[in-house]
Amino acid sequence: MEDEAFTDINGKAISLDCQSHSGLCREFTVSSPKVSVGKVMVYTCCVWLLAYTVFFFTENTAVLSSAILITLLGMMLHIHFVKVDHESLLVIGSLGIQVSSSYASGRETTKFIEMSKIKDIVINEAIYMHQIIYYLCVLLKDPSEPDAVSSVVPLFQSSKPRLNCLVKVYKSCQEILSKC
Amino acid sequence: MGQRRRAVTNPSSRRVSGAPADVARVPSRKHNICMVSDFFYPNMGGVESHIYQLSQCLIEKGHKVVIVTHAYGRRKGVRYLTNGLKVYYLPLQVMYNQSTATTCFHSLPLLRCVFVRERITVVHAHSSFSAMGHDALFHAKTMGLNTVFTDHSLFGFADVSSVLTNKLLTVSLCDTNHIVCVSYTSKENTVLRAALDPKIVSVIPNAVDPTDFTPDPSQRLDDRITIVVISRLVYRKGIDLLGGIIPELCLKHPDLHFLIGGEGPKRIVLEEVREKYQLHDRVRLLGALEHKDVRGVLVQGHIFLNTSLTEAFCMAIVEGASCGLQVVSTRVGGIPEVLPNDLITLCEPTVRSLCAGLEAVIAQHRSGSVPSPASVHARVRSLYTWRNVAERTEKVYDRVSGEEVLPLDRRLRRLRAYCGPVAGTIFALFAVLDFLLLLFLQWLVPDRVMDVAMDATGPHGLWRPGPSSKVSGTKRAAEKDSSS
Repeated sequence: MEDEAFTDINGKAISLDCQSHSGLCREFTVSSPKVSVGKVMVYTCCVWLLAYTVFFFTENTAVLSSAILITLLGMMLHIHFVKVDHESLLVIGSLGIQVSSSYASGRETTKFIEMSKIKDIVINEAIYMHQIIYYLCVLLKDPSEPDAVSSVVPLFQSSKPRLNCLVKVYKSCQEILSKC
Repeated sequence: MGQRRRAVTNPSSRRVSGAPADVARVPSRKHNICMVSDFFYPNMGGVESHIYQLSQCLIEKGHKVVIVTHAYGRRKGVRYLTNGLKVYYLPLQVMYNQSTATTCFHSLPLLRCVFVRERITVVHAHSSFSAMGHDALFHAKTMGLNTVFTDHSLFGFADVSSVLTNKLLTVSLCDTNHIVCVSYTSKENTVLRAALDPKIVSVIPNAVDPTDFTPDPSQRLDDRITIVVISRLVYRKGIDLLGGIIPELCLKHPDLHFLIGGEGPKRIVLEEVREKYQLHDRVRLLGALEHKDVRGVLVQGHIFLNTSLTEAFCMAIVEGASCGLQVVSTRVGGIPEVLPNDLITLCEPTVRSLCAGLEAVIAQHRSGSVPSPASVHARVRSLYTWRNVAERTEKVYDRVSGEEVLPLDRRLRRLRAYCGPVAGTIFALFAVLDFLLLLFLQWLVPDRVMDVAMDATGPHGLWRPGPSSKVSGTKRAAEKDSSS
């Protein structure tokens, strides 16, 4: 169910995939573009140029080998901990919400929130770096005091889609939440 | 004197001074207004309530209003107040006295974001102490928006700090389309300080909410005369004078009591006086008061005393008179314009003159020749209303929005012509750098990738009264703390 093009807050294209498993179960997946080869080249070149200038003055080969290590390690850490390929939100009415994100290296983190703890799903505004952005978040409540919001779980944290995409997800989530 | 008489006549009959007559005929358009000031709630004071009340009345008139201020402690992000009034608490570093540090540039990204996503047409900065307000005026001009500035305070001309502030004000205001002052004294002061054309300076006084400040004579104790003082306990408010008045009058009149509300560094002066003359039962220091408690204190008194040394427009005396108190005040700044002569006793800012003024009012009290609180309230309630202020501010916006914004080259020439060769050149350089920074930001995050903010107020606003209304996720979420 692919339709209109969405972008993230920096203007990069992302895609939203909505799957309806049944009336009470929907899955939303936001996929960001893969790591571009150009970007990897630019970063590698920067590190290497820096290393060569330092090597030129110090004539110490350890600089060069450490540059290799830094590039490799940096790349590995980046795809393992930073770069997120897909973020998905699985909403199952009466059961709960599962939030998972899969990293470029294949690592996956998953978090499940029970329905009894969920107060609502809302779109909120926040100041992020030097911008003010909209984001989707799950409001949690403490079962002991059902009227207060105990904490907030932001969704799609790494892909940061823009408002039109968030509204779409928000509306379908509300459809399910209102049924149970 | 002629000016003063004009000022105390019913303000609603007067037009905004300085605005041409044809403005009234232009059908009023709906503006998207951004109020910028370092001072906003939870900080308390005259500027804060001015911004809030003015915004509420403008919203009532169908304009869209957002407020931008800096973060107060944990209060940062986006909040909504009554009627969908949106407040941005931006995380900028506070330097001194709740005023942000200014580098002229670092606030540009966030302010640009606010201006773009809210589709702002008029930027309205408040208070000359607010560095953020000046920054916003500067950036707004770079972005090609029209600007209005409201000055809330008076300054001197002689000492080094005022010379410097006045220079900065000159630079900041030479680009501003229109300036609003709260009294004629303040207008005169601002025109002189910032070397402005008086035609672009309007006078719109402050107002009080008369329903908040109603008299209640039953709260007064009849066996004594109570003098109420409500102000921040700082040097500008003349607390040292108060410290001289208290022992002198308390010696003469054994049934005189003082009720002092407010907090500040000069509290120690009053505590010393109280200690020295053993007046613990007669001088009560209430500490900082919340706005809602002010009326409860005011109605306990018979006389309201204001000892300010400088004041552009004193809201406190209007509040006092609205509660039916006899007002005694110093004759400084714009205070003589504020109330009709028979409602206020004006004195020179010296202990002797203030004591004489208070004595006269106390004698009137004893003889019973003072007007009743209800009649005083009835006169004051029609003098200053926020609706009237909003109406007149709207005319300023109507006029400003029709003006063209100078392109960069003419702006630079104007800066150099108005502000002298040295300061002018420096700030022209700043203006160019600001423009380059703006171009860089526009390249980094183009305007088209910024989401237009949900419109809470204004002609197509989403705000509906009532907590159960299901408007949109944004609205409901925003009432919660915006974390992250």
